[in-house]
Amino acid sequence: MFGAVYVIDEGAADVLLDVAHEFSSRIEVEAPPARVATEDRTPSTSQVRQVVLDLGGLTQLFGDARAIGEALRQTAANHGLRVQVAIAGTRTAARLLVRASCGSVTVVAPGTEAAAVARLPIQRLAVLAPSIAPVHAPCRSQSHASSHGAALAAFRRWGLRTLGDVAALPAAAVAARLGQEGVQWQRLARGEDLRPLLPVVPEEPFEQALDLEWPIEGLEPLSFVLERLLTPLEAQLDRRGRGAAVLHVRLHLVTKTVHTRSLQLPAPMRDARTLRTLALLDLESHPPTAAIDRVVVAIEPTPARVLQFSLLTRPLPSPAQISTLMARLGALMGEGRCGSPAVVDTWQPGAFAMNAFAPADPESGQRASPPKHRVSVPQRAVKAERATTQPVVALRRFRIPVPARVRVDHYTPVRVTTDRAAMRLDHPVQATQSSVAGRVPCTRGLNGGDVQRCAGPWRTSGGWWTVPAKAWDRDEWDVTLTDGATYRVFRDRSTDAWFIEGVVD
Amino acid sequence: MRIRLVFAIFSPLGETMAKHALAVLEDALRARKLDRTLTSAIPPGKGDGQVAPAALTELDTSLQGGLPRGQLSELVGPPSSGRTTLLLQMLAAATQRGEIVACVDTFDRLDLASVVAAGVDLDRLLWIRGHAVSRAESVGLRPQFGVRTAGLSLRPEGLLDRTIERALKALNLVLQAGGFGVVTIDLADASPAALHRLPFTTWLRVQRTIEGSETACVLVAPQSLGRSSSGLTLTLDSRTQWVGQSSRAGASASAGSASRVTAPVSASRSGVRAMSSRSNRLAGLDVTVHVVSPRRRSEGDVMVAATASR
Repeated sequence: MFGAVYVIDEGAADVLLDVAHEFSSRIEVEAPPARVATEDRTPSTSQVRQVVLDLGGLTQLFGDARAIGEALRQTAANHGLRVQVAIAGTRTAARLLVRASCGSVTVVAPGTEAAAVARLPIQRLAVLAPSIAPVHAPCRSQSHASSHGAALAAFRRWGLRTLGDVAALPAAAVAARLGQEGVQWQRLARGEDLRPLLPVVPEEPFEQALDLEWPIEGLEPLSFVLERLLTPLEAQLDRRGRGAAVLHVRLHLVTKTVHTRSLQLPAPMRDARTLRTLALLDLESHPPTAAIDRVVVAIEPTPARVLQFSLLTRPLPSPAQISTLMARLGALMGEGRCGSPAVVDTWQPGAFAMNAFAPADPESGQRASPPKHRVSVPQRAVKAERATTQPVVALRRFRIPVPARVRVDHYTPVRVTTDRAAMRLDHPVQATQSSVAGRVPCTRGLNGGDVQRCAGPWRTSGGWWTVPAKAWDRDEWDVTLTDGATYRVFRDRSTDAWFIEGVVD
Repeated sequence: MRIRLVFAIFSPLGETMAKHALAVLEDALRARKLDRTLTSAIPPGKGDGQVAPAALTELDTSLQGGLPRGQLSELVGPPSSGRTTLLLQMLAAATQRGEIVACVDTFDRLDLASVVAAGVDLDRLLWIRGHAVSRAESVGLRPQFGVRTAGLSLRPEGLLDRTIERALKALNLVLQAGGFGVVTIDLADASPAALHRLPFTTWLRVQRTIEGSETACVLVAPQSLGRSSSGLTLTLDSRTQWVGQSSRAGASASAGSASRVTAPVSASRSGVRAMSSRSNRLAGLDVTVHVVSPRRRSEGDVMVAATASR
């Protein structure tokens, strides 16, 4: 048994919901048309004027259906609301009759819904339009609404004036002319329900707090507190089929200040241990300044992920595992030192950027998070190289170029040495020549020596139109020294100083 | 007792007994998980038989498919021997198979242009950058050229050791996380003294961590470190290939001609005097890979030719 309550006065939606909750916890809110289009079933309390209640089991408390209806009306009146109430065996009949009840309580006996709504005008069906499921419309918005209008217009064109007229049509004929949608309209005209009641689930706060008897210092005791708070939150998220999108940790300190940290999680997750580890790793790098009095953990929920693994591709680590790994690596190596490299839009030698490590799913090709930096200029060269099967000679780049002394003859380097004579202390056997190739085994380094072969110069310059610190202007040379190693050296044209940029390896 | 042992070895019956005794001994070592010190046949583990190909036909054939998964392998050689070239080739092959890879770059030596030229899918590469310790610090001198040493000991040995220690911790974190096809650690620029200070159990621990997994761990070092921790040791040597006339020889002859400027037109400034022939350049590396396998599974020399990208 269902009851529909329609409030006559506008702007009293909150009170209407309070009244409805006094009678039943299973309440469906009549969604406004604007929200129906977006499939958002969250009630907009400012626009709600009608609710449907599941009144099953209330007869033992209030008596028969009419007594329940009167109690509803009386309770609403006590809250200052003028309402119309209709009670029927189906939601559809109650919804159709509530606006026609004219200030009184309308009660329909079970099984007589079709007769009760038969006298209503056909225009009343328009309020039930959201109940009609689109049969083959991939885009539900204007096309959906227009198809509803077309069906009702067809009924009017056929000369039908009341719901009873529609209900009396042969179902097969309606299906032949209007399809399944027409059949659904006919069932509504008979007061039948097309779907069960969808009760509104009140927004549930995902928050836990703990007041500590004694202030705690350090992260180790805090980890136990976080575990205690996150475990019930995990169960709550699991119960609701939700995952955490953002994790807020608020630490109330003894200094009466609040230390707040918010973690944007790369993917919805609800594992308490993972969340605790992430929170602790974040607090390791951003520790509170004083002892902690109170701990509050709040979670912004989001629908949980549904994963379908493939038999044909190697599974990637889950986003929870990757985010935990990245947090641990970040705490160990430092901020911004771990991630995926990205090419930046510049010709400056050695320039790069770091993106968050979020490998794309090989099947969908979608990254967990969009990259911050995108490949631009060298993309064409990359594709050309990939076409070959031969490996490409790599450079080991000294992030801090090594100053070198270069003797030049006819603009060509003939000898390269470094100021690091003391380095030889570390290579006591460097003078030993390999018996096979005449090369120094495993001890070649920045030892310097005469140039055996060289090529260059390749001049590059740029960045001079921006800040001077980012400008470069230099001549590059590839040189093979007598120690057998091949280096890339360059002369900084602004300072006329030579540097070793890297080793060809 | 000594006489009986000698007899046992040199008689047909004794040979059988010796084999039996050896089997018993190996079983006992295996039961105590000490079998990794053996270089003889080790019973196949869970990850055995799976390999990570380098997409180089000759090398993969010699390695019976590629680097073994679940084991620690080494790329050993001096500078300019092709270690980084081969390493990037392996990473590129893995990412093109759809795997994710990690590179623990102990001294921050990775050149992104080389990575891109090798064909590595950057989205699938986890780059863990260590601190760029200069060569002076890596061999025990004072820090120079504005190296950031905040949070690190200024004692040179401490600085270097901590850098390597951090890299090893990062390697352990990555290996324990799992899911990576190839994980590499680059210790090529660490001084031999610093590498000798590492406890030998370091590599046994790494080996234990990846045992049975589908991860191929690759260690790049100037000398062999993993020793008996199974896997392969690829000892590299190379010869630099040049094309064109040497700049030194032809310097005076070529002076006055036009030079090669690789910068974009908008970025280049004034003209430059020519000093070398356009055709004279580094052509590539001929890398000789000597494969050493403790299981005697594959041995031999393989030639790999790498081309220069300039």
